[in-house]
Amino acid sequence: MFKRLTCFFLVFFLLFSLPCATLLAFEPSPEDRALLNKIEKDTLQYFTRFSDKMTGLTKDSSRAGSPSSVAATGFALAAYAIGGSRGWIAQDYAYARILTTLQTLRHKAAHEKGIFYHFLDTKTGNRVWGSEASSIDTAFAVAGALLAARYYPGTEIEKLAREIYERADWKWMMNNSDFICMGWTPESKFLPYYWDSYNELMLLVALAIGSPTFPVPPNAWERWLRPEGDYNNHKIIYASTGSLFTYQFSHAYIDFRKLDDRGINFFENSREASLANREYSMSFSGQYKGYSESSWGLSASVGPGGYRAYGGKPGGGFQDGTIAPYATLSSIVFTPEFSTKAARFFYDSYQKELYGNFGFKDAFNLDKQWWASEYLGIDQGITLLMLENYLNDELVWKKFMELPAIKKWIELTGLRTRSASIAKN
Amino acid sequence: MKGDEKKLPPPSDIPHPHFGVLYTRNNVLTDEFLFNSINREGKSMGQNRRKHFFINKPLQIRFMLAVIIPLFLINLVALAGLYFGIWSKILETFSNEQTLNDLVTASRMVEYEQARHPDANQDFSSLSFFKQTEKLSLRQREVFKGILDETNRSLFWKFSLLLFFLAWGTIFISHKIAGPLFRFSKAFNEVEKGDYRSRVTLRKLDEGHPVAQEFNEAMEKTDRLLSNLKALTQEKDAPQAVAKIKEKLSTVQTSANV
Repeated sequence: MFKRLTCFFLVFFLLFSLPCATLLAFEPSPEDRALLNKIEKDTLQYFTRFSDKMTGLTKDSSRAGSPSSVAATGFALAAYAIGGSRGWIAQDYAYARILTTLQTLRHKAAHEKGIFYHFLDTKTGNRVWGSEASSIDTAFAVAGALLAARYYPGTEIEKLAREIYERADWKWMMNNSDFICMGWTPESKFLPYYWDSYNELMLLVALAIGSPTFPVPPNAWERWLRPEGDYNNHKIIYASTGSLFTYQFSHAYIDFRKLDDRGINFFENSREASLANREYSMSFSGQYKGYSESSWGLSASVGPGGYRAYGGKPGGGFQDGTIAPYATLSSIVFTPEFSTKAARFFYDSYQKELYGNFGFKDAFNLDKQWWASEYLGIDQGITLLMLENYLNDELVWKKFMELPAIKKWIELTGLRTRSASIAKN
Repeated sequence: MKGDEKKLPPPSDIPHPHFGVLYTRNNVLTDEFLFNSINREGKSMGQNRRKHFFINKPLQIRFMLAVIIPLFLINLVALAGLYFGIWSKILETFSNEQTLNDLVTASRMVEYEQARHPDANQDFSSLSFFKQTEKLSLRQREVFKGILDETNRSLFWKFSLLLFFLAWGTIFISHKIAGPLFRFSKAFNEVEKGDYRSRVTLRKLDEGHPVAQEFNEAMEKTDRLLSNLKALTQEKDAPQAVAKIKEKLSTVQTSANV
């Protein structure tokens, strides 16, 4: 009996307490907190600077000639709402920018059954570069709209955000299959790629199940593959590329800390993935100058040879010495101490080359003496939202988790909830 | 003279309506009248060819300008629209800077696809260059379509505006003719009813001022003549009055000179 009780308490302890118990509480110093606030504030400027004044559509990249990206536009909506609430931009200004953007998304931006095209002409909202009507990018646009609506309840913003969400036909995007299709083009119809395995898909599936108009079946949540992998004793449900962003994007909006998916806690999974990612790059520190305890972050980013899906293990593990500071910072809710130290290191060591008016530039590679000259919209967006969650009382999570769609998703998928607090390492 | 008189044909056979009143009053017609009448008809049907382009030179030149200037403006707008709407954008699209930007973006688009669909990387990597070329070509088609669509939209509104102004101008100009014609018509109606006091007064910018002046002078003369005749009918000395009437009418030419 005693053994049984001991075993029971041990299992209970391991399942629910171990992750927190092994983490050390961390509180950034006032200087570091000030730096993180500065980074968040500066990052916001990307969206005010690179969003069209007339349409509100946000450029995919700060690079000249870049089209606008509908996912970046979604992050812009969230960024304005946060900026307004923080007093970094005037409330009137934030409201006007969000309204303009939502009006464009509602009435002008090219879409197919409510699924926006990935890349749009910044001035007209027309589809460009033969891009696909993209389910994941639409999800990030809708999430940004719904979050902005939570900051301005009972306004035109809330009405437009609801209309945009209700118009999106997620069911159609399943193409009579078990998974949501990645995209559709008028030329070749549905793409042969589906969101069928773990990555940034969770927000998309959550919104699709929670949709009040075109919901996908609740078992769409169970169907996607959860491949298990291991790196340095970090057991992880991993994404094929191992890119850090795949463990972060859904977490910008959804607070997974309290959600238990049949024994998997995706918040803890992302924490493990962040730690594994860091350790993976550190394992190459003798080979690449850029990798160290305070300099890590392998994620899809621009690099010396173009945009690449850099990542750690488990997963593709492709790396060439390129570090993406946005990814390091966006893990701050999972690994606050390591991410803060890295932010301080990047800022103090490479400020001149790496830090600009809009926060950290996308990536750098010390071995090739290469510094990105551009910022990417979605990378700036994830940085801003994760910093906001960490620095400002988890406000994004609190607001987003109150959405009826998210509650519906949790209820229909049977995700069990449990008490948790933000990880302190 | 009696032998020269001929019975009138039935009213329906009379070709010229202006003389109908005379027939019904007198019921007689002279050979001279018939000759003149036929002569006039022959001229109007067979020999009514214009020998001069300019009948009223200032009027015709004004009208020519009124048509040519708006048409010239329309052509100017069309040419400018085509040039600035199409050629300048094409030149801009193919500027060195823009071409470089497009090349980089095409490459980026392919890289995004490769990153998003890692399973397909094997196929993609070897065909990267062709994929980029395809993307670039696709982009160029989009740009051309965009330019043409935008130019068409722009020209449509410009042409619509010009047509509106042209229509407004036409009404404005035709009003300067229609107005005088209406006043002449009204004056003729009044004369027909026996009111010889009628005069035509035109606005400053109306066409036909010389004609109106001539008409008014003729009317004034006729009015004076008839007034004098009317006054003579009031005289007590009838033979003297008749003599004066004959004298007054001696210079008057009519269709039935008796």
